[in-house]
Parts: sequence; structure tokens; C-alpha cells
Amino acid sequence: MNKLMKKIMISVVLTGVAFALYQNFSLMPEYQGLNEGLSNYIIKSGLNDTGSLNLITAVLYDYRAFDSLGESTVIFGAVSGIVLILSRKMLPVSSKGLSFIVKRALGIMTPFIALFGFYVITHGHLTPGGGFQGGVILAAISIIFSIVYGSAFDYRRYSPQTKTLFETGGALTFLGLGLAGILMEGAFLQNLGFLTAETGTLISAGSIPYINIGVGFKVGAGLAIIFYSMIQKTFEEDF
Amino acid sequence: MAVLEIILVIFLVFSALMAVYFDEELISIIFLSIFSLVLTALYLLHKAADVALAEAVIGAGLNTAIFMSAISQIRHGDSD
Repeated sequence: MNKLMKKIMISVVLTGVAFALYQNFSLMPEYQGLNEGLSNYIIKSGLNDTGSLNLITAVLYDYRAFDSLGESTVIFGAVSGIVLILSRKMLPVSSKGLSFIVKRALGIMTPFIALFGFYVITHGHLTPGGGFQGGVILAAISIIFSIVYGSAFDYRRYSPQTKTLFETGGALTFLGLGLAGILMEGAFLQNLGFLTAETGTLISAGSIPYINIGVGFKVGAGLAIIFYSMIQKTFEEDF
Repeated sequence: MAVLEIILVIFLVFSALMAVYFDEELISIIFLSIFSLVLTALYLLHKAADVALAEAVIGAGLNTAIFMSAISQIRHGDSD
């Protein structure tokens, strides 16, 4: 296939995608303002229903918690597939890492990154953020360890077994809270009413903070496993 | 507000085009990272703080690291 054919094919595919997107967006309803529709209901009664100040977290982990469970399952499947394909042996040949100055500077910065990650996870129902974002920040620490200190350091500190434990623990926390919703409130992933406290405090909003912590550990450990299994072959060839 | 938004959108389109235009993978990845940062600023301008945080962390941080490790693996084989 020559260059011209390739370009024609790419333009045809792009035109098709643009047409499909235009069709989809033209089917969407007009913007009706904040006083009508489903968003109005959530803005009005979201705080009363869930006790969560951050309404996006209220939608993600209370109204649509089942969708979030599906997202976590997708991430779990992706991690399993990548590890199955890429992972040959658990301990790779590691690099020596970067220079002394970078190592010391990131040694000072890393605890604050971890603190920010835990802040974003645990304050998911009060301020912007939540389990997913905070979990990715925690995964960034593992990436920093792999790049700056060499992946053997990452292996010694947080071995893949520990990460697997964190991931399954987070998923089981999510599912256990869902089953607790069946037993106590009558529906899967129903918000646990007896955990609700005064609005605005750290431990309030029923089971939302605990689901946040579970999802945070699950996502963070899962993405760290993905990066670890992608990086190991590189260092085998380089050093 | 509107002027800043127009400037950001122009810069967004520019960085997306540059990411497609260059043949070197490294430059494309850096422009994708810039794309994510500009998109974060746009989300923040529209008061979607949750999405902005997710975009900054995933798009500018994690994607760049994973793409870098991916191209460092394909660099060894010979490509056209």
C-alpha cells in the first residue's frame, strides 16, 4: 500500500468518525439550564440523600456506584491482561537510577506527594478529587521509585505481591460495602445510613469515604503494577 | 474570560496538530503532555475541578510515563 492510499484511507476513517460524532451530538437534548432535568434533582437533594458535599463523588459512589464498580472491573481486567502478556519474571535487572541530586530532591518531595494522594482520597466527599485521582497520584510514587532509584528499589519497597494485596484488598472493600448495603439497607451498594455523621466532617457521608479508600488503593496499585511490568523488559536489554 | 478561553483553545488545537505532525515519538509525547495541561486549564476555567484533577494526573503524568516506557522498548527494534 503506497502513501497516497494510506492517506486516503485515513481521511475516509476520520470523516466517518466525524460524521458519527456529529450524529451523536445532534441527538443530545438542548441545554435546559440548571433548573430542569436530572442535574437539578441532584443539586437540590444530593446533600440530603448522601451527605456528601462534593456532588460528583455523590454521583460516582452513591447514585451510580454500580457503574464505578464496572470501571474498577475494567481496570482489573486490563491489569490482569497486561501482566499476563508482559510479565516474564518478577525481579527485573534494574538500572542504577539517576544522579545523586535528583535522588535526594525526590527523597524530600516524595512524602509530600504521598500525603497529597492520601488527602485527595480521604477528602473525596468534601473537596474535588476522589478515589480514582488520588489512586493515580499514589501510583506516581511507584513510578518515581522505578525511574529515579531503579526498579529494584521499587521491588524491595513495594514488591508486586504487596501491590497485588493492595489491589485485591481495595476491590474486596468495595464489594464488601456493596454486600453490607444489601444486608443493612436492602439494595446493593446502598449508602449505609448508620455511618452518617455531621455534614462536612471527615468521617461522614455514609460509606462513601470507605469506598473512596478502597478504589484509591485498587487503582493506585493496579496502575503501579502496569507500569512495573512494562518497565522491566527495558532494563533487561539496557543493562 | 472569553479571550483566555479562545487563546487556550487555539493552543489546544495547535498542540494536537503538532503531536500528529512530528515523526519523532518523543516530541509527540511531549506535545500530548502539553495538550493535557492546556485541557486541564480549560476544565478548570469551566469550573470542573474533578475532571481537571483527573486529566492533570492521568493525561500529563501517568500517560507520559507509560508512553515513554513503551517507546523505549520499541526503539531497539528497527522500524521504517
